[in-house]
Amino acid sequence: MTAIVLEHVTKRFGDFAAVDDVSFEVPDGQLLAVLGPNGAGKTITLEMLEGFLVPTSGTVRVLGADPRHGGRAWRARVGLVLQSTSLDPEPTVRDTLSLYAPLYPHPYKVDEVLELVDLTADAQTRVGALSGGQSRRVDLAIGIIGRPDILFLDEPTTGLDPEARRRTWAAVENLASTGTTVVLTTHYIDEADHLADRIIVLVDGRLVTDTTPCQLRAKGGPSTIRYPLADGAAADLPSALAHHLDPAGRTIVIRSTDVTGLLRVLVGWADRDGIDLTGLEIGPPSLEDAYLTTIGEPTTPKVRTYA
Amino acid sequence: MPDVTLPATPRRLPAIGPLLGAQIRYQVRLLLANGRTVAVGIALPVIFLVAGGHHPSASDVARDAVFGLTLTAWNANGVRLVAARQAGVLKRWRATPLPRWCYLTGRITATVLVAVLAGAVTIAVAALFYHLHLTLSATLGVLAVFVLGAAAWAAAATALTAAIPTVEAATPILTLIYFPLIIISGVLGSINEPQWLSTLASYLPAQPLIAGATHALHHTHGTPLLPTRDIVVLAAWAGTGIAIAVLSFRWEPHRATQRRATRTTARPQPNKIAR
Repeated sequence: MTAIVLEHVTKRFGDFAAVDDVSFEVPDGQLLAVLGPNGAGKTITLEMLEGFLVPTSGTVRVLGADPRHGGRAWRARVGLVLQSTSLDPEPTVRDTLSLYAPLYPHPYKVDEVLELVDLTADAQTRVGALSGGQSRRVDLAIGIIGRPDILFLDEPTTGLDPEARRRTWAAVENLASTGTTVVLTTHYIDEADHLADRIIVLVDGRLVTDTTPCQLRAKGGPSTIRYPLADGAAADLPSALAHHLDPAGRTIVIRSTDVTGLLRVLVGWADRDGIDLTGLEIGPPSLEDAYLTTIGEPTTPKVRTYA
Repeated sequence: MPDVTLPATPRRLPAIGPLLGAQIRYQVRLLLANGRTVAVGIALPVIFLVAGGHHPSASDVARDAVFGLTLTAWNANGVRLVAARQAGVLKRWRATPLPRWCYLTGRITATVLVAVLAGAVTIAVAALFYHLHLTLSATLGVLAVFVLGAAAWAAAATALTAAIPTVEAATPILTLIYFPLIIISGVLGSINEPQWLSTLASYLPAQPLIAGATHALHHTHGTPLLPTRDIVVLAAWAGTGIAIAVLSFRWEPHRATQRRATRTTARPQPNKIAR
């Protein structure tokens, strides 16, 4: 069954196409991550699915209905977290959730949802006094309080510390495990990797990739060897390695399919000079590299050039 | 296809009545939790009353009460509404299963209640400490005028917010309309104004509100409790204001300016950078 259908959807602002002929479907229960650089049309796409924006052309169906005309029953089945926090600052977390819960036919109990987003300890705090990460979790709590069939998350973890991100992920995974369809936009490749069943990439309003984290990773190319050098160690590096020093001359970064050969050189050098290889990393093909290749960015984006 | 994804047992939506009641209570609490609203709308007119001298007339009391009432229903309501819209609060509510009319009704009703409270506090202080004579019928009459007047001001401010782009613009726009209007209407004291100006004021919502409240305070047996003409003017403002507010209401900030700003920063212009 299909929770979401987009057919040839275009959204123009003046003569600028923010979303340009995008089509995809999301089956029930899938967790879809929408990736793309700033201005790629992720939020505009989400807002058309949420009913805030009308496509200039094309068709959008969410739970079988046109989101623009989704009535109460439809809105009761759709949860969302907007890109920025959007709650009255005066009431406490508990009061806010107690206000939203009765709007839905089968809401979570306020205590349950506080537990889910790990805000039990802050239940009596005013919303306006919360940290950025905490208020994002209140947004999430309101998004999920009605046990939605579809949850839209617009950059739910942007600006959160790693621990808060993990908590948010856990809450989203929890809901997804109950069969909720989730569409999330994000800038974080690891977030998509961790959560998503499927990834689509938008660039300049167009859908450029529709894939899974696994398949995307396979496009990432060679493995990466990384070794931070001790001070002065760069002096007698074998040329096969010196060639791969980063611009600051402090770290060897090698992307190669010949992991064995390069490691042999590296270990031989360390052995000869008595160098401690603590800090050596050998990574699989990186999802980030694959993503950057997909959106057409250089994979070592220290200096952006537009020639 | 549309029916395929509906749940097997349709879930019943909660009844509207309790939701509307909860929304009104919530909005009243928000208004009262805001120190500025309370200080300006309730305390300021009382200070005026105390500063005004020992024996305020019924019309002096009505003026002070109307000052507090209109500050709440017009300024506080308008600024808070624009701020909530700009912060995305209205957008968030719009996406919930609460019917949109329910949210709007809750907001306006709460504003009317708090504005009436602001006016009533002044009247009560005058009755308790300044020997303002208050019969039951006069009290009910004043409350009726206040409810209608607060509805007129709250509806007009709500309608106007559609034309206010940002919260920075809200205070100047609302104030620039408010003060000239209440000054020509005599809210801050009688002024010598040309005939055409007082005629104009009699069609605006402040002067009939003072006249109506004064009339009700002076009520004795044998005279009508409420002056028809003033009531008609206030009702017309309330009705027209609500109609315009509903038709023009904006749930989201002005999108055009927002989007353009995002795009220009998000897309580096090759020519400028490459040089």
